Amino acid sequence: MKRFAVLQLSGCAGCEVALLNAEAWVAEYKLVYMPLVVSAEDVPEVDVLLISGGVRTDEDLYKLRRAVKKAQQVVAVGTCALSGGVANLGDRDDVRALFLAEKDRPHVPRLLPKSHPVDAFVAVDLYLPGCPPTSELFMAVLTNPLEFQASKVVCQECGRQKLKDVKPAHLLGFQQGEVRPDVCLINQGYLCVGSSTRGGCRAPCPRAGHPCVGCRGPSDVFIEKESAAWFTSIKRVFATMTNVPEDEIERGLRSPQLALFLFQFSDYTGDHQPRPKEKVL
Amino acid sequence: MTTLTFPLSRIEGHARVVIDTRGGIVQSAKFQATEFRGFEYLVKGAPAEQMPVIVPRICGVCSTAHHVASVKALEDAYGVTPPPLALTIRELLLLGQLLQNQATSLFIFTMPDRLGVDSIFDVDMTELDGDALAGVAARALQVRQAGTHLITLAGGQFIHPVKAVVGGVTGGISAEAASAMKAELADALPVACALFDTYWDYSVALSERLGTWGDDAPACYLTAVSGTKPNYYGDFLRLMGCEGGDVCAQFPARKFRAFLTVEEAEYSYAAQTSYKGNVLRANSLARANLVDSLETPCANEYLQRFHREFGQPAHAILLFDLARGIELVYAIERAIEILSESLDGAETRLPYEPRDGEGYGLVEAPRGPLIHHYRIENGLIAQAEFVIPTVHNVLAIERALRVAAERYITPERVNLELERAVGRVVRAFDPCIACATH
Repeated sequence: MKRFAVLQLSGCAGCEVALLNAEAWVAEYKLVYMPLVVSAEDVPEVDVLLISGGVRTDEDLYKLRRAVKKAQQVVAVGTCALSGGVANLGDRDDVRALFLAEKDRPHVPRLLPKSHPVDAFVAVDLYLPGCPPTSELFMAVLTNPLEFQASKVVCQECGRQKLKDVKPAHLLGFQQGEVRPDVCLINQGYLCVGSSTRGGCRAPCPRAGHPCVGCRGPSDVFIEKESAAWFTSIKRVFATMTNVPEDEIERGLRSPQLALFLFQFSDYTGDHQPRPKEKVL
Repeated sequence: MTTLTFPLSRIEGHARVVIDTRGGIVQSAKFQATEFRGFEYLVKGAPAEQMPVIVPRICGVCSTAHHVASVKALEDAYGVTPPPLALTIRELLLLGQLLQNQATSLFIFTMPDRLGVDSIFDVDMTELDGDALAGVAARALQVRQAGTHLITLAGGQFIHPVKAVVGGVTGGISAEAASAMKAELADALPVACALFDTYWDYSVALSERLGTWGDDAPACYLTAVSGTKPNYYGDFLRLMGCEGGDVCAQFPARKFRAFLTVEEAEYSYAAQTSYKGNVLRANSLARANLVDSLETPCANEYLQRFHREFGQPAHAILLFDLARGIELVYAIERAIEILSESLDGAETRLPYEPRDGEGYGLVEAPRGPLIHHYRIENGLIAQAEFVIPTVHNVLAIERALRVAAERYITPERVNLELERAVGRVVRAFDPCIACATH
């Protein structure tokens, strides 16, 4: 039986909970390290090491460097491991100064100035984006990533109908209005970015009536390009389907709720190389 | 001075226990949260309406509670009351979280302590005790999965839900979907009861072996539920005083500072709460102590047995775990009741006008009362405050750790049982460190 471990860095444990929901691995894998559910001293030799969370403290960095030496294959899972995640909404001078001053503690791990992606420090073999990735995606990554079948974009998995003759003049915001079932959320004035967000999640959010916030990152077409290319594509969709002014779209895309996810692949690491699409599930 | 440091596992997040001793006398027992992300700082300047999507990311285990508390805080600020159907769906969502969490805490986090193994996935349980433990991991995951599916149904997403919005929810639940969910819960109910019976028996055996149920000194108890059909949606906070028996204070979320003292600690990224200098406890035992009876049959049978055997209020810490099992059963039974109502009505959401001001949102999360407090200026978050259930329990955890340390550390030696005791003490409170430090 193959062995796998989960290294939890600074994050919310949502990725681990998603993994627990994917119970089918129990038959194929032995889980040898994952502090959330297994008591074990250290990461032993494993076939696959999943890493969740960002590198936020010096202890995270120490654990990361030790753990990857034990693994045949290293997989970064979730937005935090890929980009630093939600904690980086605080990667601004005013905020950084505040929390470094107010949260200085003598006996606990030291905070780094920002939450770093895992591949800023170690080589990663496979990336699994999502906040969190669904249980099905976890199973795919553990069993056979090459054979995983998914649509290219969330839009194709959503099932809502696009209407040609309904063009909203302004965005509704994320919390307003009455959502009509079965009709495309863009037609209803919601800033949904499912048209170019990576497929594979089966579109749970837009199906439930909430616009896609892009947590899976860009589709293969944009994943090796700068974030500007992805933004341009989203803006083009809204220019075609709505009469919403471009600056209104631009503001929405750069607001925290979306920026948190839309920039997750634009932070190139190492020699500033983009993550190759073959390595992203 | 000798310092003993214990890393912790089978809890949410990163924490450790540090015990200082001198000449075999325990000097201090500290619970250190060792992670920090800074949500109160990083949401400053964010559009208020984006909070229900950003703040569930405080914690993937408790994301549902944060999602609902966030929406409630905004509704409080904007002065909007959601329609009844939306409130029912939100109650269902929180029951899904309660079910998922209590199943996880009981069977994945603390069952291994009863069985003397490192993980529920680790061993062939049939070797331990024939039928009662056959396929225990698969059965535990089945029960837990029902909670996950309930969250998905009522919240749109299984983690970081999206369906609660200011003024209501994005949509109802169709009769077909409700009926399929009911069937799954009905299947899970006997499985959950059987697992809980086994868990109860093993807990009794454990306490007999140890000669204790752990720290049983009186404490104050805090919860936001009441009545015989506790609604985890939360209305008022209630405090049961140290002298036991009755509720000694009842107050809305916006008055919490008059009753709860929240202080930072220099050795931990988590703060700690007290009530007039007294140790405070939240989570399952607080609710079991404050609720006299339940209107769902199986859960009530367990609760009455609990009161009979351990008294009301009960104080020993390993009883937190048993109280969790009662709630697991209640969550399933109550969700089945709600799913029998019509949930596909038209009115799921009311219009509202955003405005600046302050808002408080309270829910009873599995770990206790959770409060989100926002101050909104120009539509942006000027200040956010998250009052976290685990923080209410920090002093109680440290007191119980000290009791365990004094039991197992003597001038002659340190009993190796201490390491296991530290794990059991902390897990009894089911702390969530991602939330506590946020």
